Amino acid sequence: MAILLGENTKVIVQGITGKQGTFHAKSMIGYGTKVVAGVTPGKGGQEHLGVPVFDSMKEAVEATQATASVIFIPARFTYSAAMEAIDAGINLLTVITEGVPVQDSARIRQKALDNDVVMVGPNCPGLITPEASKIGIIPGKICTKGNVGIVSRSGTLTYEIIQNLTVNGFGQSTCVGLGGDPIKGIGFNECLTLFENDPLTKQIILVGEIGGTGEQQAADLVKKEITKPVYAFIAGQTAPPGKQMGHAGAIVHGKSGTAKEKMRILSEAGITTVKTSSEIPLRIKENL
Amino acid sequence: MPMLYEIEGKQLFKENKIPVPRFRAYTDSSSISQFVEEIGSDVMMAKAQALSGGRGKAGLIKKVSSAEAEEYIQSILGRDHRGKPVEIVMLEEPLEIEKEYYLAVMLDNESGKYLIIASSRGGVDIEEVAEHYPDDIFKKSLSIWDNPFSYLFIDLGKNLGFEAKTLTSFTNLMTNMVNMAKQRDLTLVEINPLILTPDKKIIAADSKVVIDGNSDFRQANIASLKSQRDRHTELEFEADQAGISYVQLDGEIGIIAGGAGLSMATCDLLEFFGSSPANFLDVGGGADEIKIEKSLEILSRQNIKGIFVNFFAGITRCDDVAQGIINASKKFEIKVPIVIRLVGTNDKKGISILEENGIKAYGEMEPAARKIIELVKGGN
Repeated sequence: MAILLGENTKVIVQGITGKQGTFHAKSMIGYGTKVVAGVTPGKGGQEHLGVPVFDSMKEAVEATQATASVIFIPARFTYSAAMEAIDAGINLLTVITEGVPVQDSARIRQKALDNDVVMVGPNCPGLITPEASKIGIIPGKICTKGNVGIVSRSGTLTYEIIQNLTVNGFGQSTCVGLGGDPIKGIGFNECLTLFENDPLTKQIILVGEIGGTGEQQAADLVKKEITKPVYAFIAGQTAPPGKQMGHAGAIVHGKSGTAKEKMRILSEAGITTVKTSSEIPLRIKENL
Repeated sequence: MPMLYEIEGKQLFKENKIPVPRFRAYTDSSSISQFVEEIGSDVMMAKAQALSGGRGKAGLIKKVSSAEAEEYIQSILGRDHRGKPVEIVMLEEPLEIEKEYYLAVMLDNESGKYLIIASSRGGVDIEEVAEHYPDDIFKKSLSIWDNPFSYLFIDLGKNLGFEAKTLTSFTNLMTNMVNMAKQRDLTLVEINPLILTPDKKIIAADSKVVIDGNSDFRQANIASLKSQRDRHTELEFEADQAGISYVQLDGEIGIIAGGAGLSMATCDLLEFFGSSPANFLDVGGGADEIKIEKSLEILSRQNIKGIFVNFFAGITRCDDVAQGIINASKKFEIKVPIVIRLVGTNDKKGISILEENGIKAYGEMEPAARKIIELVKGGN
């Protein structure tokens, strides 16, 4: 089933009656995602987009046995919505919302870890297993089924890369948008391991950005445990040196946040790094 | 990273029972005598407030007598420090120093926990301490759920060499510092140095505070501080107020993109093709036509030679982007060439809105980037 998401995954949309929730739930349903319920407190008992709406996650999960939820809810209410989803027993939580306070994200993340819930996001485009299902906002029409796994910190840049692959005849197993916030749910390493163990995935693309240390940790893991070919693109190669987060951050994690440094570490781990997104399919072709 | 001025950080410290020297803010040099009387000392520290580092080396921090204070304040108010004029000078009571320490509480991105970092070698560049004396740096992490009870910090205090009453003052300070970080959504609180006085009191002689911009909606008092206005250029501030991520750069082509990653990749591409970006601009997910119009208005006030609009829309809709561009072009004249690349959600609708107005849209990023560069270079 590729990774994390398959055609039979039952999904609840939190915030289904809102503007964004409605628009993207409709698109998910159109793509074939099994959207089995929506949750909007105070609107329980109604039907929206042909889907039953519940007042709470607990009621929605009990009625539908859904295992995944996706949050399209304003940032100030996201903390509570995510806690509610985890308490209701779902095991894949995707937070699309942008602008969630980092402390809230840290709390959601810890709760997810404590309950063995896979959390994707916040501030992310979600995930898609082409021709099976999608959770979130990745445009379905640019994807095609195949054997390239994509894991990315970016949203729109990922679409760019997916389209380049599709146009060049490389389909995707699953594409996961991790989100751009400093504190988030799963990272590169969880996805790399899942792709490594997924029989459908034959090669992996990692899309990183300046800042943070996720790419460096990924390089470590690839060196030790990943046997499939990995390609990497890092955005922000020409960005002026960013402002460091005080000295405390530098002591803890070192100063290796620039694109150049990340690309160097990734190449040393045997990963093929590219300068532009359009270079990825060319390099895959060369290596076949 | 949204930082506070030292004096704003110290005000927060004061409100949260973290001991600080007595201080006062000056935007001119009047009524210094009142402060002299209050602290009962004829010497004091004068510190220009700035968001960039290197104040000491720039001569913006000085120990002065009450007689010198007025002239010194006048001499540094308005002086440029790394592109920004000094607008506030803080006068502060001088401290007697027995020993200096380093202390920081940060919300750690990797672990999602609060991390406390402390050293008995404070007052100097802590990165150098970490390099040369790693054993003198102590770390402790606290789960996001933990209550920062003072007993949790006894070991840390003993590692730093605090005894008796000072140890209790230290553990209480730690409790207050962590609680403050949690309650006020601070991602970094750094005290360097924390001063031990000869009478065994500990006092925060400096403050470095980084806030979480995402929490503005529940931290209105912090979000409205002067530092939060001053950390931006005028255009950046306007963009920020409109919910647009915009960073002014000094290249020739203005950029409007959807998504931080794509915006960065667009900057990169212009550089690779021999041009340069005049800005980074991410309209954010789900931007409406008003935000697009605002983005164009901001760019129209920057000195640029061309505009490159680059969207691969997911949560944003191409028809909104197109309509925003048309609205903007009707309200004010866009004097430079503009190239638009538009694909993703509702792209057919967006492209036809542009075509009705005689504008061609590109489907791919690289040909569009080459086109705008050609127009800009050709126009020279």
